[in-house]
Amino acid sequence: MSGVFDRLQQQLEIRKREEGISAIELTDLPPALRKIMRLMLREVVIKYTDLCVAIESMDAKSRLSRPELDSALSQLVEQNWLARSGEGEFINYRVNLRRKAGSQLSQDIWSALDSKIDHTKEPDTP
Amino acid sequence: MSKIVSVHSFRGGTGKSNTTANLASLLAMNGNRVGVVDTDVNSPGIHILFGMDESHMVHSLNDYLWGKCGIKDCAHDVTANLKTPMSGHVFLIPSSIKAGEIARILREGYDVGLLNDGFQDLIEQLKLDYLLIDTHPGVNEETLLSIAISDILVVIMRPDQQDFQGTSVTVEVARKLGVPNLFLVINKAPMALDFNELKARAEKIYNCDVAAILPHSDEMMMLASAGIFSLHYPDHPVAAKYRQLVALLEKS
Repeated sequence: MSGVFDRLQQQLEIRKREEGISAIELTDLPPALRKIMRLMLREVVIKYTDLCVAIESMDAKSRLSRPELDSALSQLVEQNWLARSGEGEFINYRVNLRRKAGSQLSQDIWSALDSKIDHTKEPDTP
Repeated sequence: MSKIVSVHSFRGGTGKSNTTANLASLLAMNGNRVGVVDTDVNSPGIHILFGMDESHMVHSLNDYLWGKCGIKDCAHDVTANLKTPMSGHVFLIPSSIKAGEIARILREGYDVGLLNDGFQDLIEQLKLDYLLIDTHPGVNEETLLSIAISDILVVIMRPDQQDFQGTSVTVEVARKLGVPNLFLVINKAPMALDFNELKARAEKIYNCDVAAILPHSDEMMMLASAGIFSLHYPDHPVAAKYRQLVALLEKS
């Protein structure tokens, strides 16, 4: 049974990734949130406490208050744009970037292309 | 603190890969450890400038995105290929040039989060001073991600009406994504043009600095990506412009 649950968990993880944020959606975020997301992208995983320190160092105009930050983080987690792990002072955040979709072309076209491509052929060089 | 530099253009053929390769090499000559990632999975090519062919690619970015290896396994130290004494290093992470692998990545897509993780892991594992990202032209997932995480965005354009219009799209996106430093480079400019006037025009249109205007060069065309221009022609005016750009990157 644990195998079934593991597979279900994997499917949920994959679906979460598919629902994540795309880079173009970053442009629609308010400036302060965009800065936060940008920081998180650079850090990959960031502790909540480190995030609070980073917010404090922003200029007054773009700085979020603690309640504003917490509300924004909750909303982003709700949208599956952020993944949250840990509890209390050990909460970590990670940006959930949406997987780049593959081609919408019919599988037949790809199969035809694969059959034409000879993997052992050397590429032509001038 | 490591810097991420994306080199981008709205249209193809502007000279991104040549610019990226020259900047990387000159940064390494200044003693920096430089990573170069070819994120143009659709049409990879920068590996040619660094003297690599398919047979030299142990692993490519494609392998990493398919989970076959770690990102460090894809990093090829190409410093020796430059055949120029330098105290730094250039590490190239190439994209696969095999038709089947290009087709596969187009067909299946990939985990963009993994790509971002790879960038950050490269900086840490290779102790990079600079990570240069050679992008696919136009607005696409890889480009937007690289712009979003970059400290510096170098936008390359030619003095061509199509480039003028397209570059405004790139600049707008870059501003929305909040890139800290944005530099415009006008490449392949005919010597007949008034460069001061061209600079003023572009700066007015885009409201950002034109970091350099690189004149059209027959020597560059004749070299034809067979090597790094500024190493082959160190005294050429274009090489001087590249060095000027490197100084700007180091100061930013």
